[in-house]
Amino acid sequence: MTLPRLPFSRQPLRHIQDRLATGLITAGGIGVLLAILAIGVFLVWETLPLLALGDTFSLAKLSPLAWGTLKAALAAMLFATPIALGAAMYSALFMSARLRSRLKPTLELMEAVPGVVIGFIAGLLLAPWVERNLASALMIIIWLPLSAALAGYLWYRTAVHVRQRLPLSWAGLWLIPWLAGMAVLAIWIAPIIEQHWLGGDLRRLLDQRYGLDYATRNALIVGIAMGFAVIPSIYSLAEDALADVPPTLMEGAQALGASRWQALWKVALPTAAPGVFSAVMIGAGRAVGETMIVLMASGNTALFSASPFEGLRSLSASIAIELPEASPGGLTYHLLILAALALFIFTFVVNTLAEIVRQRLRRRYQRLGSSL
Amino acid sequence: MRWQRAVFSNVGFLKMSGSGLWPWLCAACVALSLLMLAALLTLLTIRGLGHFWPAPLEEVTLKSGDIVIGQPVRETTLPKGAGSERLYFTGNQDITGSNWQWITIDDISQQAEPADLIRLTRTPWGDFIGRLMTVESGDQRLTEQAAWTFIHDALALPVKQRPPGTLVLATADGQILRQPLASVTYFQSPNAMSWGQKTIAWGQRIWQFLSEGPRAANTGGGVWPAIFGTVLMVILMSVIVTPFGVLAAIYLNEIAHQNRLTRLVRIGVRNLAGVPSIVYGVFGLGVFVYGVGGSIDSWFFSDELPSPTFGTGGLLWASLTLALLTLPVVIVATEEGLARIPDAQREGAVALGATRLEMLTRVVLPMATPAMLTGMILAVARAAGEVAPLMLVGVAKLAPQMPVDGEFPYLHLERKFMHLGYHLFDTAFHGEDVQAAIPLVFATALLLVLIVLVLNLTAIFLRHYLRRQRGNEC
Amino acid sequence: MKRYNLRRVRKHQLLLLLTGWLLMAGNLAWGQPTSVSGTLGAVGSDTMAGLVLRWGEALSARHPDINLQFQAGGSASAPTALVAGTTRLGPMSRPMTHAERQQFIDRYGYPPLELRVARDALVVVVHRHNPLDTLTLQQVDAIFSTSLACGAPHPIRRWSTLVPATDWPYGQIALHGRNLASGTHGLFQERALCDGEFRLDISEHPGSSAVIAAVGESFNAMGYAGYNHLNPMVRALRLVDESGAAVAPNERSIQQGKYPLSRDLYLYVNLPPSESLPPVEQAFLTLIFSEEGQQIVKAAGFVPLPNQLRDAQRQHP
Repeated sequence: MTLPRLPFSRQPLRHIQDRLATGLITAGGIGVLLAILAIGVFLVWETLPLLALGDTFSLAKLSPLAWGTLKAALAAMLFATPIALGAAMYSALFMSARLRSRLKPTLELMEAVPGVVIGFIAGLLLAPWVERNLASALMIIIWLPLSAALAGYLWYRTAVHVRQRLPLSWAGLWLIPWLAGMAVLAIWIAPIIEQHWLGGDLRRLLDQRYGLDYATRNALIVGIAMGFAVIPSIYSLAEDALADVPPTLMEGAQALGASRWQALWKVALPTAAPGVFSAVMIGAGRAVGETMIVLMASGNTALFSASPFEGLRSLSASIAIELPEASPGGLTYHLLILAALALFIFTFVVNTLAEIVRQRLRRRYQRLGSSL
Repeated sequence: MRWQRAVFSNVGFLKMSGSGLWPWLCAACVALSLLMLAALLTLLTIRGLGHFWPAPLEEVTLKSGDIVIGQPVRETTLPKGAGSERLYFTGNQDITGSNWQWITIDDISQQAEPADLIRLTRTPWGDFIGRLMTVESGDQRLTEQAAWTFIHDALALPVKQRPPGTLVLATADGQILRQPLASVTYFQSPNAMSWGQKTIAWGQRIWQFLSEGPRAANTGGGVWPAIFGTVLMVILMSVIVTPFGVLAAIYLNEIAHQNRLTRLVRIGVRNLAGVPSIVYGVFGLGVFVYGVGGSIDSWFFSDELPSPTFGTGGLLWASLTLALLTLPVVIVATEEGLARIPDAQREGAVALGATRLEMLTRVVLPMATPAMLTGMILAVARAAGEVAPLMLVGVAKLAPQMPVDGEFPYLHLERKFMHLGYHLFDTAFHGEDVQAAIPLVFATALLLVLIVLVLNLTAIFLRHYLRRQRGNEC
Repeated sequence: MKRYNLRRVRKHQLLLLLTGWLLMAGNLAWGQPTSVSGTLGAVGSDTMAGLVLRWGEALSARHPDINLQFQAGGSASAPTALVAGTTRLGPMSRPMTHAERQQFIDRYGYPPLELRVARDALVVVVHRHNPLDTLTLQQVDAIFSTSLACGAPHPIRRWSTLVPATDWPYGQIALHGRNLASGTHGLFQERALCDGEFRLDISEHPGSSAVIAAVGESFNAMGYAGYNHLNPMVRALRLVDESGAAVAPNERSIQQGKYPLSRDLYLYVNLPPSESLPPVEQAFLTLIFSEEGQQIVKAAGFVPLPNQLRDAQRQHP
């Protein structure tokens, strides 16, 4: 932007001020960017001594931790992705506008719940409860989706005036008591099923028949707790991507006779797929780096085990509890910094990928919007 | 969701009229998310606030003839389906050796809530639960109502000004205990209280929790230093992060040429928001604490070495680390605000002869202020809930010295500080008796969640207001 | 060398106690406590944090002008701070190593005064309804280690090996313990595993109370933790000592040192041989060895010193 010269007496001063300010802002801006770059440089610098040591044995110590990190993230994503994407699809295309404008901030609040609180609840309340009532917990996981389908089925069967009272566009709200009721039902009915068909004790059955060991704090608990934490971030980005699909596309599909769901599934979802993908990636990035939840709910067992009922230990949790005690310059210190570097690189790659995909998508929408 | 598809296609549910059942499953996802959030908040509220409510004390007669007085805490089933048992908080650790007692429900022959049961908190032994016999003060021996009034009047005074006195107490099995009045910190007879009195006592105890320091090595008392530490750290952090974040955003949006490099940088900044907080903690520990702090120590505090002054975690390093952590949040939010300002505004200002600085300070920045505020509040909200990086850079289990005091230079940036989130983690995982600590942990968790939620709500409303305002202008 | 050190320590104790007596005698003579004021700094053990802070609270109650500042950085931070001279009091949950002591002597020319202030123990805990009652140290090693350094023939993995008579608890033993950085982890490794290697599938908790909480909620769990964290959710097992008798961890057995995993808690004081302690530190030590101070030890969940040891340290050796 070139500035026109003006015949004012204070002009030189103003221009000097302007130059100064521009310089300052530039310096500040570049400084901030350098500081951000410094993180990567520092982590690489501090792991270099490890190369000199060439100690493959201690590097091998990190591999169960890396496995644990991935296992925890996978468990969380298995729980969070369907729920978050389902919620995004529903709120982008079926929900009433008024409810939608309220729902987004509410789920943002969900994202704000500190990890240490979630971890505490998961580790000290949820984990023992699930251990005592394993059958009920599994029952809830199986029964809740079924009961949602049942709600839909019943809805189609009811009279028209009831349907008008309880429209699909508000179902996100009025299904809450239904689901709560169904969860209570599952908790109540599970012990009966356990008694009659599973020999009275599901855990004994798992142990005796399949040799499955059950640890109190396990991947299942971590998955639920961390899933809770990543649902909002996946939801929010995926919903943005779906809601930004040019409405003309959907209208076109529906004009050709597609139902709303078909239009969503066949048109909106493929169009928004990169955005949805990037949402999932960002969620995965968050799950990999989350510390307090894993620390408090995982049991910190450095195991190579794929069982969802066994514990795990993640890179981030190990850093949090071991690094303050590690003497700077020692082997443990450098190893833990290597762990941090691994987390940094992983999340950076994942996020960059997601961001690039999202920018592509934005351009595609612009193209679609202009061509139609 | 593949198994769901298998199930449903077999049954033919999906061929239902209209859109089929899929939308219902999606709706259930929303409902489930909301349900989980609501359940979490309800749990925190009930357990967090319920702890302060004066709980009734029960006198339980066992079939063996023993009598136990205590507050019922929880009930669980016995193994192998042998009925259930109940945990009583019985206090009197000095007499019985334990604060707790499990009682099998089947063993109870009688239970009642007599109005004369009392509960008092003493140092160093914690809670006493039992009966008050008499109060001895000088030559006086007070009983009944006179004793109650005497105690209430005395406890209202500071320890030094209390009249000398001894409470003669009796435990459930009739043992007599003489407790000097000076060591009593709290006195209550919950069974005799009316609802109104209970509400008042409840309010008082919540206030004590918020305003007092921890007692008996974090097992009792309040969380005031943790609140103070959290707030101070967050204020320092926002003082550091806001100018830098805003500068970087202005640079990116207003000054730098919009080319491949800026786009790359923008991606980088956005990504940093996704870098795990613990990585920032590692960076803070390695660079700020060991690097910068170590150098400061060897230059200015060399006479103190080898014990570190700035070379160990402290308030300053924690604030700096969290400032770095929240920098992307501020940059992104501010940039969003700047991008929303129509170019016509800038062009108009320049056309009227303003320099770029004038254009920025008089036109652009005032319009972007709400966005900056939003960014700052979001940063604060994120920082207030972060715990993992703090564990590396300066949070303490118990910091008897507040970071602000009357000693020069009044604000002690090198001191360790207490933080609500870490306090929660510490009392839940490191405390002496986790069973006793859990109610306090719930209260702390509720407080932390409230602080973070209120900050977030402020940001949300601010953004909403901003968008509406912008919408009207355009 | 060690012996020599011990004798030196005794000598300092003598001096200290003499001054203490003089002070106390002075107090008695004047008929009222002299007003002591100042700040007392201590740096050291995390385990003892609760105890030291309670002592600090009681000290402030006795002498309102004394203010205790305690920095819990783990036992290893105490010698560093003592050598650096930033504190005169270093609480430690283990005795100083030879190297640490030598560092101190190199710096000051005299050894630090070593005081035993309380007893503690590591306990092996199970769920409160678990029928298991006693373990030998070999069994503990067989359960927790892969190396079997204490001489057990084979590892123990399942409850059926330990409690063959009942069908409850069943399955594998779920193990719980502390994380690598903690002193409890190190001590258990040294004393119970004969310096062997821990199993990999032990849940490593960031705190002893987390161990207790985990074991208390899970019927097939076993774990180790500090004695002061015991609560009614769990039951501490009796351990078989060298003579073959099963000893339960309780105040008596730990106090007398009969329980195999008991240990002392120390307080190291920087006191030049010819000097007496400053009044503030003196008041603190007086409190620790007083009846009230040892009651506080109990209230904090640890075990008070046996009377003769307490008196020996308070009075003449």
